[in-house]
Amino acid sequence: MSGSSTVRSMARSPFVLVVGVILTWFIAAFLVWPNVNILMATFFPDGSFSGRAAEKLFSSQRAMKALGNSFLLAVALSVTVNLVGVFIVLVTHYFRIRGSRILFLGYASTFIYGGIVLAAGYKFIYGDKGIVTSLLVRVFPGMDPGWFSGFFAVLVVMTFATTTNHMLFVANALKGIDYQTIEAARNLGASTWTILRRIVLPMLKPTLFAVTILSFLTGLGALSAPQVLGGREFQTITPMILTFTNSPTSRDLAALLAVILGLATMLMLAVMSRLEKGGTYFSVSKVSSELQKQEISNPVANVAVHAVAYLLFAIYTLPVVLIVLYSFADGAAIQTGQLSLANLTLDNYIRVLTQQSGLRPFIVSVVYSALAAVIAVGGLLFVARLLQKYRNWVASTFEYLLHIPWILPSALLALGLIVSYDHPNPLVGGAVLTGTTVILLIAFVTVKIPFTLRMLKASFAAVNSSLEEAAAIMGAKTLYVFRRILLPLVLPAAAAITALNFNSLLDDYDTAIFLAHPLVQPLGLVIKANTDGAEGTEGIANTFVYTVLLMVITGVTMYLVYGRSGRRKGTKRLPDAAPGQPVPGPDLPPAQAPAEDDAARPAAAVR
Amino acid sequence: MIRLENIEVTFGGFTAIPNLDLDVRPGEFFTLLGPSGCGKTTALRTLAGFIQPARGTVRVDGKDVTRLPSDKRQVGMVFQNYALFPSMSVWENIAFGLRVRKEKSEDSDRLVRDIARRVELSDEQLAKNVAELSGGQQQRVAVARALVLRPKILLLDEPLSNLDAKLRHQLRQQLKDLQSEFGITTVYVTHDQDEALAMSDRVAVFNKGVVEQVGTPQDIYDHAATEFVCNFIGDSSALTPEFVAEVNRLSTAGLSTEAKSYLRVEKASLDQPAAGGPAVGLAATVVSRTYHGLHSRYVVRSHGADIRLLVREDGAAHPPAGTATTVYVQPEHILQYHPDTGASLAQDRAVALP
Repeated sequence: MSGSSTVRSMARSPFVLVVGVILTWFIAAFLVWPNVNILMATFFPDGSFSGRAAEKLFSSQRAMKALGNSFLLAVALSVTVNLVGVFIVLVTHYFRIRGSRILFLGYASTFIYGGIVLAAGYKFIYGDKGIVTSLLVRVFPGMDPGWFSGFFAVLVVMTFATTTNHMLFVANALKGIDYQTIEAARNLGASTWTILRRIVLPMLKPTLFAVTILSFLTGLGALSAPQVLGGREFQTITPMILTFTNSPTSRDLAALLAVILGLATMLMLAVMSRLEKGGTYFSVSKVSSELQKQEISNPVANVAVHAVAYLLFAIYTLPVVLIVLYSFADGAAIQTGQLSLANLTLDNYIRVLTQQSGLRPFIVSVVYSALAAVIAVGGLLFVARLLQKYRNWVASTFEYLLHIPWILPSALLALGLIVSYDHPNPLVGGAVLTGTTVILLIAFVTVKIPFTLRMLKASFAAVNSSLEEAAAIMGAKTLYVFRRILLPLVLPAAAAITALNFNSLLDDYDTAIFLAHPLVQPLGLVIKANTDGAEGTEGIANTFVYTVLLMVITGVTMYLVYGRSGRRKGTKRLPDAAPGQPVPGPDLPPAQAPAEDDAARPAAAVR
Repeated sequence: MIRLENIEVTFGGFTAIPNLDLDVRPGEFFTLLGPSGCGKTTALRTLAGFIQPARGTVRVDGKDVTRLPSDKRQVGMVFQNYALFPSMSVWENIAFGLRVRKEKSEDSDRLVRDIARRVELSDEQLAKNVAELSGGQQQRVAVARALVLRPKILLLDEPLSNLDAKLRHQLRQQLKDLQSEFGITTVYVTHDQDEALAMSDRVAVFNKGVVEQVGTPQDIYDHAATEFVCNFIGDSSALTPEFVAEVNRLSTAGLSTEAKSYLRVEKASLDQPAAGGPAVGLAATVVSRTYHGLHSRYVVRSHGADIRLLVREDGAAHPPAGTATTVYVQPEHILQYHPDTGASLAQDRAVALP
């Protein structure tokens, strides 16, 4: 095999050459050039170095305030998300809590709705004209209807929206803890609290560092939550970038802010990979036993933990329940918040699904997401295969370059595309892309590359290499082996990745807000517009319907991708039985399966 | 020292141990041996206090500890994979129990260094992270961590099972040496009969939650009390009624031809044995020979029974497959079991359960 990984042998294969040329063009045109171009536009506007953009930025009070707010939000969010996230992971996976399955479903509701949809949902419920606020104002006429806005509201919404990372990664790390270490500590006399503090949490440290940094980045790059709920007094960097982008005179400011955001993101990710390398926190054992839930022996603590767990459950599920309920309600009920059986009809669904104006954004989103998901997976199937097969400097350079969308915030990527292709550019055959429908598709494909690539590579790596060698010995050529042997084996994983990509693009807001064609507006933008109240109660009702439909689509996809394998693991295991191997999911390589969209796009807004 | 009385353990509807009685004597190295899923680990964990028995009593030094939590029973445990805390250094691992007890830090340090010296861990190793240690060093840390609290009993749950063969042999000796040095009562769980025979003072053989036999390693090997023990420990050939009848004809042994009869591989030979009681020779044909260097394994057929036996490779000529030969057997070596109950027919030699 050593012969096959040299650069020279790569260059001899026509298949590799064709893929290589297309890939080089794509990377150059859409990953490298836009970002280089933005740096040039910021610092070398007329060909020579200029600090004018920086001067303008530092003298703009609004911009500086936004910068400060973003960092404030990032720091605060790192704390609150960890508090809530660790708590919900412990009550669902570590402690013996009554009804922990129900609790889990409630906490997991953020898996099926997030981003702009979640921000809009909270606004419609707790905002100044929101359902709960209307009810509250009736009870307490003196209260401020705008109570749920500003820093507090943004922090609350983002806290509950981003615990998804904890549910994925921290829960997974917790499951990996060898139960024997806990028994050993108990045998040595440690209490429940001591075990948690001295044994369990230290073992989770690397994962906690990682999710803290993801939370920090989420706070830093937040877009939809501050826009929808921040009000006038709490604005952050990304909404500011958006504002500056829209006027050509301040585009350099937008670029500079995007660069600052990008630098901060890269710095934090570098810190994260440093931390991940330092120290062994993982179990040193080869045989480990499965974690068993811990009783909280102190009755007072037990009651308190149960109470907080159910309170959080209510906070998580209330928006979902209300959105589902009010998606059937008529305008009057939505406005007053008062609901009776008589108000409940299917009218909203009929309107959204039959009227042109209601259905159009949905169709636009579905078409964009499906195209982008299929293109990303289809194109990267070949690339992932080659990167997995050839290991040399050319391959690793390509791989690093393809991860550019992972380390840069989507605002920077979007701005780069706008700036680079608002005039005829030879890289794309002299076409102008800005303002066309193609540019959003390109951006959608781009942001999905790192996640898709890593997952596909892992699934190729999981294929037993003897199969391929056996086929080669019998005389099969590269493409034939790929088509007849590898592809069928990888296809289920590829389908799952396509579905996950489709899901996460469906309610995209952060990219679309910069790049969407004014007449071809995807769902995210329409939902955001509805939160501004322009469309009245009908707009709100439409948003509820969209949200329910999105939740159903996402829920079904998640179930198809992850759910079935989880169900099989539910058999009870006797304590004396040999420590079993985790049952790998049928579709995704087990180690990679939890790495949903969130790791792939750390700087995404609300998720 | 340790008594398990009428212990019953159930998991949901499944009864892992129906009724267990065991008595471990002070200072003894006592092994629970059996195939996987036989209930030996369950018995150990019941003793440790990790499993609450549905019925029965656990006594340590005469005191009823059945309802006491694990840390109040004065038992130390070394886990299958050592369960060292990966986020702590070696010193912190050993000191963990002392710090939980809120011992003064200078006392803890003294005790930790003291025990570390006795299990031969250097000061330098104490400062290391557990992941930097070899398998053998990790085992000593695990033993030190358990012993530093001065337990009355040390429990070892298959501590050698996740090591490679060579290290396993080395650590087996080390573990036994540590036990003799500390003189602590030890209960050891293993599925490896070789380990059990080589290390233990006494062995309890488990099958399906029931103790089939308790005895010294030699007792168990030479006088297996049940057919299960006979098959589980050592290697033996099943004999046919015709073979047994022929032995009866040639000797005065008067063996039962109805019983299930076995003969250990090392107890049959192709030459007249020099030592032991009177042997009888039966006509046989060589079926196969496998060369192992130190010895060859033969299969010879005699009166319908395929007898396996070992022949030392000492340079002498050996009969190839197909030749006629004589197989020598001492009738007293034939192990016989009741065809229905599986109990040994040699009642006088079987060791009664305590």
